[in-house]
Amino acid sequence: MSAAADASGSPVRAQDQVARPDPTSPPAPVAAGRERKGSTSLGTRMIVASSILAFVVAAVFAGFLVSTIELRHSTSRANHSKDVSIAALKLEALVGDMETGLRGFVLTGNPRFLQPLTAAQKELPARSAALLRLTQDEPLQLKRAETLRYEIHSYMNDFVVPMVQLVRLGDRGAAQSPVATSEDRARTLQIRTGFDRFLRVDSRKVASSVSSASNTADVAIAVGAAGLAATTLLVLAFGLFLARSIARPVREVADGAQRLAAGDLSLRLKGGGPGEVGELTRAFNSMAESIQRQQAELERQNEQLRESERVKSELVSIVSHEVRTPLASVLGFTSLMLQHDFDEEARRRYLGIIDSQARRLAQLVEDFLDARRLEEGKLELRREPVDLGTLLREEVELFRGQSAGHELLLDVQEDDHMVLGDSGRLAQVVANLLSNAIKYSPEGGSVEVSISRDDGWISVLVRDHGFGIPKEQHAQVFTKFFRGEAASHGISGTGLGLVLSREIVEAHGGEMGFESAAGAGAVFWFRLRHA
Amino acid sequence: MNSAQSAGAPATDRWSVLICEDEAPLRELVRVSLGGDDYEFAEAGDGVRAAQLARQLLPDLIVLDLMLPLRSGLDVLEEIRGDARFANTRIVVITASSNKEEEVLAAGADRFIRKPFEPSEFRLAIEELLAS
Repeated sequence: MSAAADASGSPVRAQDQVARPDPTSPPAPVAAGRERKGSTSLGTRMIVASSILAFVVAAVFAGFLVSTIELRHSTSRANHSKDVSIAALKLEALVGDMETGLRGFVLTGNPRFLQPLTAAQKELPARSAALLRLTQDEPLQLKRAETLRYEIHSYMNDFVVPMVQLVRLGDRGAAQSPVATSEDRARTLQIRTGFDRFLRVDSRKVASSVSSASNTADVAIAVGAAGLAATTLLVLAFGLFLARSIARPVREVADGAQRLAAGDLSLRLKGGGPGEVGELTRAFNSMAESIQRQQAELERQNEQLRESERVKSELVSIVSHEVRTPLASVLGFTSLMLQHDFDEEARRRYLGIIDSQARRLAQLVEDFLDARRLEEGKLELRREPVDLGTLLREEVELFRGQSAGHELLLDVQEDDHMVLGDSGRLAQVVANLLSNAIKYSPEGGSVEVSISRDDGWISVLVRDHGFGIPKEQHAQVFTKFFRGEAASHGISGTGLGLVLSREIVEAHGGEMGFESAAGAGAVFWFRLRHA
Repeated sequence: MNSAQSAGAPATDRWSVLICEDEAPLRELVRVSLGGDDYEFAEAGDGVRAAQLARQLLPDLIVLDLMLPLRSGLDVLEEIRGDARFANTRIVVITASSNKEEEVLAAGADRFIRKPFEPSEFRLAIEELLAS
């Protein structure tokens, strides 16, 4: 793979990691924030889903309403057409009455036959006006209706009324003449034909309106059924959405909380879920993570407390042992001298022991006080020229008589070993290193002490061939009260000497260190700036 | 060396005492407390030397410190109590530790004496023990 491909590949992977966080590890707060922005909130989703549902329901009802209104229109049109037909038939019946009345009167001359004719003549204007009124929205039918009215009126005024006059004047023969009869038939036939045409058109309109109404009803039913089905499906889908994306994750979180309460702190829920639900899951995981971390922290603190208790109890036993040992000599010899009369030599000897052991006690107290001064940063140092070579010689001489089993070898070249510092404190450091070298090599052997000047530094080195310090304890060597395996080797001490020594050296601007391995002895060194 | 066997031929009327203690002043304190008339002393400054001298001398009394270099006093005590030749040897443990009494007595010590101790009481305790 080329470097360019690598470079372009990595951001994609990084994005993937943000988009799909590892469910076993809790998302970082920043990642959660980003995800929240990316994912549509549950509220928005609910509003969108409800809006879609409301829109569909509204559309279905609107469609249904439109279809119903349309059905009403179609029905009303059909009814109107029926009214028109009835009005036309009534008008046609008047024409029939007129014709029958006229024929009866012409044939018989009996005025009784004029009754229906007169009645028809009276009703004619109203009925023809009614037909015209009903057809005024339909221009073609209106025109036909006007033609019919004209023909009927013309039949009445131009034929029926003159015929009635003829008969009244006694000229029934002319009225019964084939010409008149034929004229009558021709006019009424024309009128009837006009009505037939009018009614045929109207009847077609009725049929069309009924058919349209039926179609509209079918459409309304179809729209209603489809809408009902769609609404049902949508409500089901909405319920499913609620169950899947809200109820289930919430149930999982509730179960998780119970398991968490029961102590399963490593539990993490699978991420995901829309908006706030996803946030809930992430918040739960983050809470579980936090609880687990706090639990671990508490356990760690508990462990520290136990360790600190152990150290404290060890310290008490160290202190009591370190105090009791010199105290036994001081009290024992004092008591003996009070109870017995010893000769001068013995008395001086015992007083010497009492003195040295009392000083040892005083030094012990001083070590503890020094440790506290160090903690409080109150260790005060004098600054005076000190010849480290001479100081080393004096300390080695002091220690030479302490152990018959050890040979102290001192290597001091004639050189300028001046440093600026506190001679008392520096002597304390050297004494501590020598004391340790002897104590930690109980089988005896040589202790090699050397001093050298190099590159502006004066270095002091103390080497023993004792137990040495195992690697795993190296980090603790300069820790207060740490004594390694000393107690099990029967080596007394407080575990303060090296801590104090290093602090003193560092307070002089110097350094202290060591090299050692288990069974291979130890080399402790320190160096100070040449004055 | 920190140990030395008392000079001269063993006298049957004196108790032989082995002092095992790494602190020289305390070895001297034990010696002076008991006095020179009734006892002859041998001394060991570490645990290895203590066991070695004990086997060599089979003393009447061993005064044993617990915190000894090279080998612990408890270790030495257990070895001695496991050896039939020491059936008549009395063992007195002296220690600056405060919580070992039960362990030490269970391991076969005859007396447990805590440092610091009163020399006269120490002497009385030893005399009483040797007389029993």
